[in-house]
Amino acid sequence: MYLTNEEEKMLKGYHGPGVQKAMEILVAIGDLYDAEKMIPISSAHMAGNYGPLRDEGVEWLEEFAETGASTKVFTTVNPQSFDFDLYKEMGVPENFRKIQLRIDGALRKLGVKLFYTCQQFLVGNLPKKGEHIAWAASESEIFANSVLGAMTNREGDHSALAAAVTGKTPEYGMHLPENRIGNILVDVTELNIEKLTQTDYAAMGYYVGKIVGDKIPVFVGLPKNISLQNLQALAYPLPVSGAVPMFHLVGITPEAPTLEAAFGGGKPEDKIKVTASNIKEVYEESCRTDEGKVDLVIFGCPHCTLQEIEEIATMLTGRKVCNGVKLWVCTSKATKAIAERMGYGDTLRRAGGMLVADTCPSGGPYAYLKEKGIHVVVTNSLKAAYYAYGLFGMGTIFASTKDCVEAAVKGRWED
Amino acid sequence: MGRLSQKIVLKAKAVSKGKAEGEAIVTKMPISITGGLNPYSGKIVEKGHELEGQNVAGKILVFPHGKGSTTGPWQFYVAYKRGNAPKAIINVKAEAVVAVSAIITNTPMVHMLEKNPLEVIETGDIVVVDAYNGIVEVTKKSKC
Repeated sequence: MYLTNEEEKMLKGYHGPGVQKAMEILVAIGDLYDAEKMIPISSAHMAGNYGPLRDEGVEWLEEFAETGASTKVFTTVNPQSFDFDLYKEMGVPENFRKIQLRIDGALRKLGVKLFYTCQQFLVGNLPKKGEHIAWAASESEIFANSVLGAMTNREGDHSALAAAVTGKTPEYGMHLPENRIGNILVDVTELNIEKLTQTDYAAMGYYVGKIVGDKIPVFVGLPKNISLQNLQALAYPLPVSGAVPMFHLVGITPEAPTLEAAFGGGKPEDKIKVTASNIKEVYEESCRTDEGKVDLVIFGCPHCTLQEIEEIATMLTGRKVCNGVKLWVCTSKATKAIAERMGYGDTLRRAGGMLVADTCPSGGPYAYLKEKGIHVVVTNSLKAAYYAYGLFGMGTIFASTKDCVEAAVKGRWED
Repeated sequence: MGRLSQKIVLKAKAVSKGKAEGEAIVTKMPISITGGLNPYSGKIVEKGHELEGQNVAGKILVFPHGKGSTTGPWQFYVAYKRGNAPKAIINVKAEAVVAVSAIITNTPMVHMLEKNPLEVIETGDIVVVDAYNGIVEVTKKSKC
């Protein structure tokens, strides 16, 4: 692939071994996918959670930070496994906390902004339509491509970091307009749209992802005033049950002002219809426990918006979470600060729950919770349920926000 | 003369620089590093995989391409640091997860050979992967 003089210098080590390794990664990926050149990016996002890194990965990150490489563009980080201010209350083992603090130190040295949220676009990392970016984590990718109209491939942490410290990414995949055109028409007009809950939207996303695989679905029939919460709920399961990089909502998302534009002037390869029974089936298949008992009720995958925290706090006003059951509401540090100011944190604590930042239901708190006898997780997030079951072998129940709150109060799951 | 070993030289495209020689372990199935390779033992642990239970540590690992989670390079790095990673990798057509794994561990890796490596190389063959020059040298195991 073609490299500028500056990029050649990076590859030859003029800017140190870290930047050199970063450019090696980017050139190799560019060659694999037939990129003609590198393009400048304006934003990056990566993970910084001990779960996948392990001790060796932490050492790698520390050594990389020691090379003097530092981020050239605004770079943020995904959630980790506990709230830095509430580690005692959350029962985080000391060795676990210490190693996360080492990751924190290495990221700070690299210039990564320590957001620890998957909702970086809500609290400061907000690229515009047409901007090239390098975001790791499938939920970040799909939201950026579909809702923001920014352009990113599904990066791994190393390729996102490589892009961050060079300010470049190879031009291929979702950076090319021709790969952003819709493939499959998804008709949801048979559903009673006004009655759909946030978790119904999630179930719809999960069902569609399973059917379309790695294609780009184009939804028709969704309301123009779809809430941010419903939009996220729909988006995040698409790359979990499938490998969807992007979706269009006709008349709503930036690259689909019309049906014709969504399909780039062409015809859909296929059409599917979503029915109420398709949605019901997702709820059924996402309940993976035979036990009636409930150990942990967890919200915040994606990180809760202020509106969701208010909704849960309102449901719990004057009520008590059952003895022995944990209830966590996960969000970003910034949103938590406002929620505390609004008194939602106090309401949740009075009910026996917790408002926590920096971590999330997919960020791996199960690694230490499991040892404390937490086995059955109730959540309003399909992605969270999928990972709790698939990666940690937890019993999981996926249910509406209201049903999750009821399960927390009763301490039992009743169908 | 049946013992005379047969040597095959194939051109390949380099993905990650380096040169290594070792015994091949070959599968026709894609490999997921996260969840598929136990980095603490070097064994393939994916249920139902052709190589399930077999150790890839120190071998020349030959497979079609990677699959699965983008966290793969972290897991591969753990395997590498613990001496449980393959010595070199040959893919039919590589993708990013395995490519990045090879690059961050300086593991020699090639793909797009002039002949399908899954048809030329068998488990037990001695293979040299020269990713500096884009050459793979295969010495067939003696069949006696």
